[in-house]
Amino acid sequence: MDTSNPAILVNGNLLPTHVRKRVRTVIQVLNSDRGSVIGKSTDDQQLVIKGSPPSTPLTKFVEVIGIADSDKSIQAEIWTNFGDNFDASSFNQLCQLANGEYQHLFL
Amino acid sequence: MSINLTPNSIAAINGGDLNLKPLVQVLDIKQIGTSQERYRLLISDSVSTHHAMLATQLNDRVKTGRVKKGSVVQLIDYMCSDVQNRRIVVVLNMETIVLDCDIIGNPKLGDMTAQKTVSNLNSAQPGRSVYDNRGNMQSFRPAFNAQNPGSNNMQGLQTNPLLQSQGMQGSHPMLMVPNGSNGVLRSATGKNNNNTQTYAPTVQPPYQPPPSYRNQGPIMKNEAPARVIPISALNPYQGRWAIKARVTAKGDLRRYNNAKGDGKVFSFDLLDSDGGEIRATCFNAVVDRFYDVIEVGRVYLISKGGLKPAQKNFNHLKNEWEIFLEAASTVDLCPEEDGGSIPQQQFDFKPISEIESAENNSILDIIGIVISVNPSVPILRKNGMETQRRTVGMKDSSGKSVELTLWGDFCNKEGQNLQELVDSEMFPVLAVKTGKVSDFTGKSVGTISSTQLFINPDIPEAHVLSDWFARIGQNSAAVSISRDLVPSGSKNEIRKTVSQIKEEGLGRSDKPDWVTVKATITYFKLDSFCYPACPLMIGDRQCNKKATRSGTRWVCDRCSQEFDECDYRYLLQFQIQDHTGLAWVTAFQESGEEIMGYPAKEVYQLKHEAQDEARLSDVFRSRVFYPYLFRLKIKEEMYADETKVKITVVRADKIDYSSETRHMLDTISRFRRY
Repeated sequence: MDTSNPAILVNGNLLPTHVRKRVRTVIQVLNSDRGSVIGKSTDDQQLVIKGSPPSTPLTKFVEVIGIADSDKSIQAEIWTNFGDNFDASSFNQLCQLANGEYQHLFL
Repeated sequence: MSINLTPNSIAAINGGDLNLKPLVQVLDIKQIGTSQERYRLLISDSVSTHHAMLATQLNDRVKTGRVKKGSVVQLIDYMCSDVQNRRIVVVLNMETIVLDCDIIGNPKLGDMTAQKTVSNLNSAQPGRSVYDNRGNMQSFRPAFNAQNPGSNNMQGLQTNPLLQSQGMQGSHPMLMVPNGSNGVLRSATGKNNNNTQTYAPTVQPPYQPPPSYRNQGPIMKNEAPARVIPISALNPYQGRWAIKARVTAKGDLRRYNNAKGDGKVFSFDLLDSDGGEIRATCFNAVVDRFYDVIEVGRVYLISKGGLKPAQKNFNHLKNEWEIFLEAASTVDLCPEEDGGSIPQQQFDFKPISEIESAENNSILDIIGIVISVNPSVPILRKNGMETQRRTVGMKDSSGKSVELTLWGDFCNKEGQNLQELVDSEMFPVLAVKTGKVSDFTGKSVGTISSTQLFINPDIPEAHVLSDWFARIGQNSAAVSISRDLVPSGSKNEIRKTVSQIKEEGLGRSDKPDWVTVKATITYFKLDSFCYPACPLMIGDRQCNKKATRSGTRWVCDRCSQEFDECDYRYLLQFQIQDHTGLAWVTAFQESGEEIMGYPAKEVYQLKHEAQDEARLSDVFRSRVFYPYLFRLKIKEEMYADETKVKITVVRADKIDYSSETRHMLDTISRFRRY
């Protein structure tokens, strides 16, 4: 497992604290365009994911890993389809724990 | 007109003669009791007087003026009992013969005593002073009121043979010596009857069944039918009685074998219009007479049975007595009363919240909405017999929920019915009569042989409950009193890690421990993973006992039958592991199939018939390293001389990651760092 370039688990609220850092999150795809995808974070915030999505069609939930270039957008490098069934609230809690008291376990 | 009262009837009544039906005169009527209306009569037989309490069902005779002071009445049905050295007479039925009449004869105050002083004064003239047993002078007045002015501690009681009576003069010794030195007493105790023909009243009430005497030598018994009395008034010291009641439960015909030989017995429960309940039991020949006659829901007139103390172990009705029907007993069907005043069933429901504080093994009735039904599980009982067990979740408006355990036949009949209703989201009302409280895991209620289940009964409590459920109940959470700790989702399970099983010594107490463990299968024991099972049906379930080879066929010990093909059932032994440790567990058919994904027979054939070792090991290897949520039953068992803790997999569920995550998040939130 390549741990040289860790990405911080974020949701909409945590993204601003990690601008210009490598982050990862799961979004629900709202709108898909050439060059960018509008998605809803697991805490109901709208995020813009820049970059070129993969050729395969996107499922409802997608994980993106990339650099946060503003407090509302991510420049995505890796896209992974997470399917249509996803427990958003659990992921949200995970983000909070990963950035909260259990931060040391993740980075 | 001059009427002769039945002379010395007071003495005879006090002597225990309940069949006399004497003519007496009511000298006084007094109302006793503050909360309840009770009337106390002073009755006279023209020679002596006595107090008698009027049964409450006759109260309106006084109120409507059908009985007045001076009325001559015939006592049809009455009871006598001794309380604290006093003889209490209770009039259950009487007929007014003459409404208005002057005082007949020269009755004197006071009870019959054995003392000479009073007996000497048999022919007291009016106005003459008499001595009571205290030696106090008391002047006689025909129409007197309370003898002891002041203390009025009459309790208002229902027709209960044990009454406190006020006004008995002091505490006199027990009156009636059987062959009394008192010459006034004519008869000994028992059913000896005065032949009242010489004193027959001039007016005979028309519907009164005339006393019909069978001439049997010195003893003449009145064979006329007895009056119907409330069940709550039954006691062994009663004379002839009859009750009219509805059958609320009919027990099974049971055969038994004891020192005296073989016998058979059956019981049924009765309920009358006053809400009194009593159990009636028949033995041997009597069973044959009545078993087919008695039907649940019908009303019967029952008479001439014996009364014995109720066996509290089996009889949970609220009555200290039980009826024993004998050869002379009569049971007559009453068709016209079928829709009448007697309710179909009587309940005493307790809210589920009260079960928590109920004593273990106590009996109670409950009513609630069924919210969950679990599948039947076969249970091996101590006597080696297998039975079915099924749990049902119920909740009521107290905000609490409880687990009801169905045993035996209830699993298939009512259990299946409930399952279907719950599956189709029509959560039914369930009323349980005679359920037993158990403190196995938390507090739960289980069925016993005399339990009765009613699904969606047409009673007011059921309507109130379904109304509550529709408006509030189905959306409100209920706290379960049937499991300890950690509510996770809809099931209340105890989560443990593998190492905790050993650390906490689970399974060591006399009851098995049931826990849920999330673990991964790491190794299968390949040697014997299944056994040949008997496929024959016992009732509606398969026998499943291990079958032994008999030539080319198979034979089963339990069924004592041979068959060609046996069933193969899993007996999987494997190791499970989590981050804390590993343990050996055993899985039976249901969980075995879940884990292996193939029926046992196929895997068996692979091994023994196709002898395909490669494919066999492939199959097992493909099933290893899968995580499951195991529901384990942990129990210590004896093997030869040593005790081993055996872990059985009752259920193996694939992990639902969503709910598992939520469970973990919940655990994390409760985790404290020190």
